[in-house]
Amino acid sequence: MTDLQLNEMPISRRGMLTRACGGFGMLGLAGMLGGGRSGSAAPVAPRPHFAPRAKRVIFLFMNGAPSHVDTFDPKPALEKYADKEPSEKLYRNRKGKFLPSPFKFSKHGQAGIEVCETLPNLAGVIDDCCVIRSMHTDVPNHEPGLLKMHTGNIQPIRPSIGSWALYGLGQENENLPGYVVLRPSPKIVVGPALWSNSFLPAKYQAASVVTKDMAVDKLLANIRNPHLDFAKQRKQLDLLQKLNRIHLDQREGDSELEAQIQAMETAYQMQMAAADTFDISKEPEHVREMYGTSAFANSCLLARRLVEDGVRFVSVYYTSDGSNQPWDTHSSHNQSHPKLCADSDKATGALIRDLKARGLLEDTLVIWGGEFGRTPYAQPNKKNPDKVGRDHHHTGFSMLLAGGGVKGGMVYGATDEVGMHATEKRMHVHDLHATILHLLGIDHEKLLYRWSGRDFRLTDIYGNVAHEIVA
Amino acid sequence: MRASGWRRLFFGMTLLGVLLKVVCAQASPGAAEAGFDWGEARQFWAFQPPVRKPLPATGNSSWAKQPIDHFILARMETAGLAPADEASRRTLIRRVTFGLTGLPPTPVEIDAFLADPDANAYEQFVDRLLASPQFGERLASLWLNVARYAEDQAHQVGSATQHFYPNAHLYRAWVIEAFNRDLPYDEFIRLQLAADAIEGPNSPNLPALGFLGLGHKYYSRGRLEVMADEWEDRVDTVTRGLLGLTVACARCHEHKYDPITMADYHALAGVFASTDMFNRPFDEAAYAKEKDKNKQPMLAMHVVKDGKVQDLPIFLRGDVEQKGEVVKRGFLEVLGKDGRREFQEGSGRRELAEAIVDQANPLTARVLVNRIWARVFGQSLVATPSNFGALGEKPTHPDMLDDLAARFMEGGWSIKALVRELVLSATYRQSSKNPRLSPETDPENRFYGRMARRRLDVEQFRDALLFVSGGLDQEGGRSLELNDPKNLRRTVYGRISRKELNSLMMQFDYPDANVHAAARASTTTPMQKLWMMNNPFVIERARRLSAELDDPSLAREANVRRAYRSLYGRPPTGEEEALAATFLAEEDDGPGLSRWTQYAQILLAANEFLYVD
Repeated sequence: MTDLQLNEMPISRRGMLTRACGGFGMLGLAGMLGGGRSGSAAPVAPRPHFAPRAKRVIFLFMNGAPSHVDTFDPKPALEKYADKEPSEKLYRNRKGKFLPSPFKFSKHGQAGIEVCETLPNLAGVIDDCCVIRSMHTDVPNHEPGLLKMHTGNIQPIRPSIGSWALYGLGQENENLPGYVVLRPSPKIVVGPALWSNSFLPAKYQAASVVTKDMAVDKLLANIRNPHLDFAKQRKQLDLLQKLNRIHLDQREGDSELEAQIQAMETAYQMQMAAADTFDISKEPEHVREMYGTSAFANSCLLARRLVEDGVRFVSVYYTSDGSNQPWDTHSSHNQSHPKLCADSDKATGALIRDLKARGLLEDTLVIWGGEFGRTPYAQPNKKNPDKVGRDHHHTGFSMLLAGGGVKGGMVYGATDEVGMHATEKRMHVHDLHATILHLLGIDHEKLLYRWSGRDFRLTDIYGNVAHEIVA
Repeated sequence: MRASGWRRLFFGMTLLGVLLKVVCAQASPGAAEAGFDWGEARQFWAFQPPVRKPLPATGNSSWAKQPIDHFILARMETAGLAPADEASRRTLIRRVTFGLTGLPPTPVEIDAFLADPDANAYEQFVDRLLASPQFGERLASLWLNVARYAEDQAHQVGSATQHFYPNAHLYRAWVIEAFNRDLPYDEFIRLQLAADAIEGPNSPNLPALGFLGLGHKYYSRGRLEVMADEWEDRVDTVTRGLLGLTVACARCHEHKYDPITMADYHALAGVFASTDMFNRPFDEAAYAKEKDKNKQPMLAMHVVKDGKVQDLPIFLRGDVEQKGEVVKRGFLEVLGKDGRREFQEGSGRRELAEAIVDQANPLTARVLVNRIWARVFGQSLVATPSNFGALGEKPTHPDMLDDLAARFMEGGWSIKALVRELVLSATYRQSSKNPRLSPETDPENRFYGRMARRRLDVEQFRDALLFVSGGLDQEGGRSLELNDPKNLRRTVYGRISRKELNSLMMQFDYPDANVHAAARASTTTPMQKLWMMNNPFVIERARRLSAELDDPSLAREANVRRAYRSLYGRPPTGEEEALAATFLAEEDDGPGLSRWTQYAQILLAANEFLYVD
C-alpha cells in the first residue's frame, strides 16, 4: 500500500494541518495549495513508486485519427491487394478496396526505421523515438475512442490520464497549473470530459487553454487585472492582507485562514510567473521559425515553455477553426493527409529537437497519435473516385513515443501484412497507459483512488507495462 | 497525525491494498449463490433499525437546549472536555442566516435582533428563516448534488442536442418548493421515483421524476452494453444517494465488503431497465410540430415512464454478452426481513420507493439525517455520507444518530423540524472559539467542543457578492448561464453542465455533475484568488458596492462604518478605521478603479467575508 492512496474519509483541511503538527510552515507550498477533503494527498510530498524516467509528459493528440499506413507502418503488400476488398466481417460495414499509400517510405537514422516521406522532421529525430506499430483499442468511433485513450473508459465518468499523473506526482511548480490543456479551437469532439479530473479532487483539474490568440491575457482567465497595474494592485493587497491578519489574530491563528492569506500571495506571484511562461513572443525568431506558425505549432512551442517551467502534463490537441477533428479524412484522404502531416511533423520534430537541445528530452515524454488509426482499405467515394478516404480503424494502428526514458530508434510490435490487425506485441490502450505511468515512476496497479466504496485505477483491472521499450 | 489516525489509515490501506486484486481474482461467475450469512450480515450497525435512545446523563445539567445536546455533552464529558461559550448574537445571526438561506443578514435585521429583548428572540428569528422562500433554495443546493442534477450530457455528437434537458429547471423548482412546504421526506422520495405511478399522469408532482429523468444518456444509447451503463447511473444515484450503499460495485462481481450481490444489483437494475427516459410534451400537438431529432426538446418535461417490463439476467463480469440467471425485479436482499422483496407492478418504481421509505428500512432516515447534519454543522456524523457500508466510517455519535433518525421518522419525516432542532441546539450556538480546548486536543472537532468555522460554498459566496452590492435578483425559473455578466440571479438558478461545468463553480468545489456527489470539498487555491483579484464580475460588484457606500453627503468614516455593517455585520475597530482612512485618503491616480472601488474589492476579497464563524 502506498501513500498515493486517498481515503474517502473527508478529513478536514484544518484538522489535517493541525495533525501534521507544527501548523502551516512545515507543509510548504505544496500543502498550502492543496484541497481540503483529500487529507492524505494534499500535504504528502509527491512520491513515485520507483525512480521515474519521465517527470513530465507532452501528449500531442491528432484529433480524428491519423493513418498508420501513411505514417509509421509501411505496407507495400497493399499494392498486391489493391483490387481486393477485405474478406473478413468488419465492425463498420463500409468496405472498399485496399488502398496502398501513395507516399514513399525510406529508412532513417542509425536504426534504419522506415518513415513516410510526409514526415521528414520526425524521420530526422527517429533515433530518439520509439514507434509502436501494434496499438489497438475497443471501438472505432470517435467518442468512445477518445474517451478510452484519455480516461481508460468509454463513458465520460472517469478522470483523465493527466489528472491521474498529477495526482500521482503532485505539482512541480506551484506558481503554474500542474496540468494544462492546449487547443486551437474551443470546439473539440467529446469536450472537457477528455481532461476531466472527475472524482479526483479539484486540485488535479486541468487548466484548459484555447490557443487561438496567443496573447497572454487571452490565454489565461483572470491572470491580469484589467484596470490596475502590479504596483497599484500590490498596495491594494497590502491592505487586504493587513485586514486578513487582524481577522486571523482574533481567531487563534487558524491554519485554514492562514492558507487563504498565503494563496492570495501565491496568486499575486502567479500573475507574473504564469504570464512569463505563457508568453511565446519571448522566443527568438529562429526558434519560432523552427516550429512553424500554425496554431498547432504555437501550441507545441508553448508546451515546451510549460514543461520547461515545471508543468507536469501538457496535452496539445490538433484541431482548427475549420474542423474539430482535421485528421478524420473520410474523403480526399490522399490530398488532406500529407498537408496535416506537414504541419504536425514540422512542429513535432522541432519540439523533440528543442527539448533535446535543452536537456529536457531525457525526462520529458512526448507522445504523438490519435484515438485510433485509419483503414488500410479505402472508404469509397461514388461521386468522385479520386477522392476516396480512409475510415476509422481500431484493431491496429501506430503511436510515436519520444524521450522520457523510452528507447530511441526502436520499433515495437507489428500489424499483419496489410495493416489490418496488430499481431505482434499487441498494445492495448490500457497497456499504453500502464507504460506511461511506469515511465513516470508509478505502478499503475498501485495508483488508486478510493471513491464510491471502491478503489479506482486509470487502467481499471487491465494493463501490462511494455518493459521492452523502457531504456 | 495522531497515532490513532495512523492506525486507522494503515488499517484502511492494508484492507484497500488487497482490494483490487482480490476483487478481480475472485469475482466469481457463480454469482447467484453468494456466500453471505444474511442473519449475520444484518447484524452490522447500519442494517440494524435505528431506535430511540434514552438521553444520557450529563454532569452539567443546564447546558442542553435540545435532545441532541445531551448526547453531544455526554460524549464531550467522557473525554474530559467542556463546550465553548455561546456565540454572540452578531455571530449567531450571521451563521444561521447564511446557514438556512444562503445569504447574509441585512444591517436592519441585525440591529433588530440585537435589540430584541425577547428571551426567545433567536427561536423566533429561526422560525422566520425556516418560513422564508430562501430556505428551499438553500437546501436544494444540497439535494441537487445528491441527484447529480444537470441540464445536458457530458458529450454530444456533432451539434446534436436532443439529449439535453432545457427544462430541467422544473425539477429544481419542484425540489425547492418541496423543501419550502416541508414535504415529508418519505413522500419526497416516493414522488421522485414514482410520481406517475402514485398520482397518475396528471399529477402536479410529475417534475419530481427529474430525479431519474435527468440522468445520463450516453453515446450510442440503445445498444445493450450502453443501456447497461445508463442503468448503472440510476442504480448508483438511488443507492448511494438515498441508502448510503455502494450497490453499483456489485455490477460486475459480488460486493467484497458489504452484503450486496450481483443478483441484488440486477434486481434493481431491472427496475430501470423497465423504465424509459421520457420527454413528456407540455402539449402534444405543439411538441410534434417542433420536434426535431437533433434539437433540444424545448417543449417537454424530462421525466421517466414505464417501458417494456423486463427482468434482467445477471451479466457475468458486467459483460452483457454473458448472461447468467434471470433475477426478478426487487430490492436488496439484506434489507428484506427474509429474502428479497420482489416487485410486481410495472417497472417496480413505486414498490422500490416504498421499500426505500419503509420505516423498517434502517438506512434511509439515517442517511438523510446525516446529510442535513452536515449541512448545518459543516461536518458529518458519518464521515462517508454516501457509504454506510463496511468501508464507510462509523458514526461519531451512534446513539444520537439513531435517536435523531428514529424521531425523524416518528415525527413524520419533517426536514424543517429536524433543521430547527439542530440550529436551536446549544451545540450549534457555541462560539467557534473554545479557550478551554487546545487546538491539538480535537483538531477534527469530532466532539463538537466548538462550532466549525466554515468557508462559504460557491452558491453562498456568489450570492453574497451580489446581495451586499445591491444587485441580487431573487427570481427563479429557467436557468441562466453563470458566466453571463447580466445574470444576477441566485447561483442555484445557474445552468449546470455535465459537458463543461462553469469555471467559477469548478474553482470553488461544485462537484462534477456526472455522478452523485457524496459531499463537497472545500479547497483553497490561488486560482480562486485570481478570480477575486481580477475577474470582471468581482470588479463590477466592487464598483456597485462602492457606489452604494461612498455617499458624498456623509463623512468618509461614516461610509466605512456602513461598509463594515453591511458586509461583516459589525462596526469596524479603530485600527480598521485608521487603515481605511489612510487608503481612501490617497488620490485616484489616473484611470482605472477609484480608491473606493479598490477598497470595496478588498472588503469583498477578505477572509472575513468568505468565512462564517
